[in-house]
Amino acid sequence: MDRYFDFLGQWETPSRCGLKVVRRKDGKTLVIATEIYRQNPGTPVTEWVAPLATQIMHHIVEQPENYIFIEHTPDLRSKLTFYGETFDLVEFDWDGGKFINPKWTRLSNEEVDQLMEE
Amino acid sequence: MKFKLIYPRWEKLEGQTTFNLPPHGPVVMAADIPGTIEIEFTDENVEDLVINDSPDFVGISMMLTTQVKRGWSIADQYRKLGKKVIFGGISTMLHAEETLEHADAIFLGEVEGRMADIFEDFRRNELKKVYNFIASPPDMNLVGPANRDILKKDHYYHKGFRMVDLFHASRGCIYDCYPCAVRYLGGRGFRPRPLDRVIEELEQIDNNRLFIVDNSLALDTQWEKELFRAMIPLKKKWVSHTIEDKEEVLDLAAQAGAWYVYQAVFDTSDYIRNRIKQYHDYGIAVEGTILLGLDNQTEDDIKRLIDFLLEIDLDLAEFTVLAPFPHTKAYADLIKQNRIFDYDWDHYNAGKVVYHPKHMPAERLQELYHYAWETFYRNEPQTMKMFNLITRVINREIEDGTYAPRRRDLVDVSFGREVGA
Repeated sequence: MDRYFDFLGQWETPSRCGLKVVRRKDGKTLVIATEIYRQNPGTPVTEWVAPLATQIMHHIVEQPENYIFIEHTPDLRSKLTFYGETFDLVEFDWDGGKFINPKWTRLSNEEVDQLMEE
Repeated sequence: MKFKLIYPRWEKLEGQTTFNLPPHGPVVMAADIPGTIEIEFTDENVEDLVINDSPDFVGISMMLTTQVKRGWSIADQYRKLGKKVIFGGISTMLHAEETLEHADAIFLGEVEGRMADIFEDFRRNELKKVYNFIASPPDMNLVGPANRDILKKDHYYHKGFRMVDLFHASRGCIYDCYPCAVRYLGGRGFRPRPLDRVIEELEQIDNNRLFIVDNSLALDTQWEKELFRAMIPLKKKWVSHTIEDKEEVLDLAAQAGAWYVYQAVFDTSDYIRNRIKQYHDYGIAVEGTILLGLDNQTEDDIKRLIDFLLEIDLDLAEFTVLAPFPHTKAYADLIKQNRIFDYDWDHYNAGKVVYHPKHMPAERLQELYHYAWETFYRNEPQTMKMFNLITRVINREIEDGTYAPRRRDLVDVSFGREVGA
């Protein structure tokens, strides 16, 4: 992630995620939103992914068709296996100004690298 | 004005001994309601609910996901009668959008300092649809003693034995545990109550046995030690979630009346084995809480875990299957992977499998859940293990001079209903 992104989460709760924006050669913009757990005082990325993706898109002034959204959870080095690093490509339907109906597809690190370079 | 506050019933876990404890959310809410308002409280788990009455205003307090459908049904009936209904409590927060469809108002967050304005809004017929205080928790100095006077206390006896009273000394949690929604419900910060107010409330509770329902007492060593030191003179006996395994903390906890603790057992490591032994060394019993169906568990892992529980001499064990409650990481992960197949909230009792486990079919996990209960309690039934725990606390109370004998007038009554002696 390159910086924090502050957003209003569910029930207008002040919330924060990590953000990396990659301008690709093909003109598309890839966004990686990182769940930052204890540094996020509000709604997790997954629970608010469609409104969050909409907020970020408006923030970076892109058209939805040129927008690729990846959700990232970092490795927390926990004893439990559920807090390892994951990347998911999130695809949405576009509904007149906002994203709806998120669908997640798990990505390998190599696939993420490839998506960033295209 | 008469305010009818209702705590909806839910179906208890199959295979588990049913105990109805006096609920905590309603008594905390009641403490913030202005004294001019008459509160009539009905806990539907221990008494029948009468709906054809005429309260001015109806409140429904819900703690569990398995309460929400019943709560919605009650609200629908009252609203048909023209009554206004407000919802609050943990599972109102977990299921807020759905609950809104059955409510005149929902309350999100913690109640202290908020109720007077809401009742004033009601009086003016200006109730808001959503009272949202999630992002603005109250000053912990405002969290005073809960109002336990609303409880019909005789309903919380089983054959003359009184159940524990629920009590809390802090809110929030710094952790983000996989199956837990406390991060959303109580915030990511640890917020202890002022110690003098904690002790003030403890002194007021006319029950020697308590369940300290804080998410974890193991969040701040200094606070934990001060709490236990302050509790020693009260001679209460209590149950709680995890406490720290530092020797000085365990020593103080034992002196403060720690009876038994809930300890998550998530693997067969020496860490868990030693932790259980440490509690036992200080005379603190342990009820293991064992979550089945996590993605790192195969069928063999679950069977090994159950064998391990028998080896480490747990005093009690409670088995559950993962229930992906909304606003947990478990829910988020399973949603992402499209693995939840059942969204009937009545089934989210942690005894029914509602998702596709990673290493086995859902049906097999369901069988293993029953196998776990049966195997653990095969040689010594749950009732016998509980009897041993009760005997232990009675002996300590007799030594302390705090023992309150069984109520003879309630030996034929279990949770407000007549049964055989």
